[in-house]
Parts: sequence; structure tokens; C-alpha cells
Amino acid sequence: MSRSNKLFGDKAFELLKELERSSQTIPAFDDDGVRQVLEEIKAIFEENVAQASTYNTSGDRSLWPLLNFRHAALQRNKRCLLAYLYERCRRIKALRWEFGPIIPADIKQTLCEPEVQFFNSYSKSLAAYMCSAGYSQGAGQGLDLTNNLRPPKSLYIEVRCMEDYGKFELDDGEVIHLKKNSQHYLPRAQVESLVRQGILQHIA
Amino acid sequence: MSDEENVPETQMENVSDGAGLEEEDDDDMEQITAQKVLEILETAWINEMCAPEILPSQVDMLELMVSQVAHMEEQMRDLDKNDFRAVVHGMELERVRYIMASYLRCRLQKIETFTQHILNQEAARDPDEKRLSPEETKFAQDFAGHVDEYFHKVATQYMPNQQRGEAELRIVTPNLMSHVFLKANVAVPAVIVGVDDEEVDMAAGSQHIIPYQLVADLIQNNQAQLI
Repeated sequence: MSRSNKLFGDKAFELLKELERSSQTIPAFDDDGVRQVLEEIKAIFEENVAQASTYNTSGDRSLWPLLNFRHAALQRNKRCLLAYLYERCRRIKALRWEFGPIIPADIKQTLCEPEVQFFNSYSKSLAAYMCSAGYSQGAGQGLDLTNNLRPPKSLYIEVRCMEDYGKFELDDGEVIHLKKNSQHYLPRAQVESLVRQGILQHIA
Repeated sequence: MSDEENVPETQMENVSDGAGLEEEDDDDMEQITAQKVLEILETAWINEMCAPEILPSQVDMLELMVSQVAHMEEQMRDLDKNDFRAVVHGMELERVRYIMASYLRCRLQKIETFTQHILNQEAARDPDEKRLSPEETKFAQDFAGHVDEYFHKVATQYMPNQQRGEAELRIVTPNLMSHVFLKANVAVPAVIVGVDDEEVDMAAGSQHIIPYQLVADLIQNNQAQLI
């Protein structure tokens, strides 16, 4: 039995609560927390194995509830841990939709290595899906699912440039200089991704 | 395409020949108009948005629509940018494109949430009853692989051996008994509602709130639609 006064499953629950509470897009990966939970799982498991074998040899029924209790604690830990990872997965997926195939540097710091890999492979299969979906046959650019995120209200929108972006070429070949603080009236479909990246701001 | 109808005939000259798909050499789709395709897509889109589970894919309709959109874009290129017609049609195309993108996105979202459940169901279905398009199936498999790999790398490989399995416990299934709003397209007699075999007759055009599972087949047969 663990001799410390903390309860089983506390740490795992803490992980989840932290994630839930944070207002950031995605908080830093709690390496330490995850390790502690994994250690707890391992410790519980080992104790159970040890006692299960005494139970087998001695047939002492009084250990039975304890074994069950530990098993439940273990399951709970596992569940919390995986829920934590799954929720992060979900947020990482949202990143792909929001920022496109490249993770912004400041967010990348908060991810752990396997998460970056997950992002990359997710991004790849999403791109593969959009290309291979066959909708592009004869349709020029096909259908970019990450565009058209909101129901269109008007064909053109007024945007203000938030940073020096440089030249931007429209579909009809017109080239616009996007300078900081300049305002433009542009086709919504073509500038939507720039708006989402925060380079342009949609004004009224 | 309600906007299109409101445009007087004369203004449609440039684009209207694209509005019918008769020239499409698709033999099994005889005489289907773009209008009809859009209607089917719209219904499919709304159904997909409202239904808790994934519905059969409307890839054929989608492809028709995409080529139609491309066709209209082609024709609009000849129009002056400030022409009233260009504005109206441009807007309409934007709307159509939004519907298509939103439809596919919605399906992807369901696939991502219920990956394993959907894959299992698909495996059990006959080839002509598959609900996913081949591309979606591929995406679902890839996605399931990525999540598993991620879980494995971060957590499950450090867990004791006997505790690693149980992947079947992690399957997320949609709640088919969640309530949906629906409208009957035709009169449907004796729909069983509730556990005690209570029956209700739905008049054409009537609206109901009902658990999804009880009416799932009506929606697939197009006897009712979700709203």
C-alpha cells in the first residue's frame, strides 16, 4: 500500500483539471504530471501483482476487495491520462484548421515531440484527403475544406492590414501591396486564410 | 439556386446553359438539373449536420456540383467584374461552395470523433452499402493510426503489459437515441415511437421531435428529413 497520504488518481485528475482551466489555445505538455501518473499506475500494478500471487497461494479471501479497489484506481488513472491526451489531440487538430500546415513557433514550444509528429501526420492525411477526394477533376483548384469556414455574407470584404505582408496576387492577376495599416476591399474567398492568420483584419 | 431564378432570363444568357447538366455524359443520371443536384446536396448537408451518426456519402452529387461550379466559373470569367450578373452569380457560387465544404467538414468531424466505431461498422457492411467514400475510409484509417501511435508513444508503452490492450474500451460511439427535429416529406403511417410499441402516423409536412434511431431509416429513404 502506498504510504503517502495522497489519494489514488489525484494527480491524473489534476492533469485534466489543469487542461480544462487553461485559457490558452493549448497549454504546455505536462511532462512531469504524465510521468507521475504513469509511475502511479505502475506502482499500483506491481502491488496488485504481488498480492495477487499471495492470494493465489494462500487463498486468503480478505485481499479480494483490496485487489478490486486497486484495479479500479488503476483503470481510473489510465482513463484520466488518456482523456488528457485525447483532449490535447483535439486541440492540436484544431490548430491545423486554424493555422494551416505549419505550427506557429510559440505554440510549437508547448507541444511534446510525439504531438508534433501527430500534428504532421494529421496534416498530411488531411491534405491527402483533400487532394485525392477527386473533387478537383477539371475544377481547377478543387475544394479547400479549410476555406469557406463561415457562411458567406458578401462577396467582398473590407480588410485592414496588420503587418507588412508585401505583394499579394489575386486570381485575376491583379497585384496588391499589403502594407501595414492600409485598407483594402478584396474578394473574401481569396483573403480568408490571411484573415485567419491575423495578417489582415476584417473590419465591418 | 433561388437567386438564379430571380435573375431575368436575358441576364442568364451567358451562364444559363451551364445550369442544366443535360450535356453531362452521365448515362445513369438521366436529365438531372443543377437545381435538383443542389437540392439533394442541401438536404444531405442538413441531414448530416443534424444526425448523430454518419450518413451515406453523396459523393456523386458532390462531383456533379463541383464540375458544375467549375463550369460556371469558367463562364463568369468572361463577364466584367462590376457586372451585376457577376456579383449575383459569384455570391451564389460562394454559397454553393460553402455548403459543399461544410458538408465534407462535418463528415470529417464525425469520422474523427467516432473513428473506430465507424471503421468497425464499415467493415461489417456490404460493399454497396458503404457509407464512406474510399477517400474518407483512407482518412479514417490513417487517423486511427495516428491517434494510436501518439497514445502509444506518450503513454501506453510505459504501462504494464496487461494494461495496454482494451482498445475496444476506448471506442467512442454516437448516441443514436439523441433527439432530433424532423419533417416528414411524405405521409408515413405507424412509426413506432417509444419502448412500448406506441405508434404515430406522420402526415406529410408535419414536424416532430423524436429519438434519431427510431427514424433513421425514414431519413435514409428520404421519407423524412432533419431540420
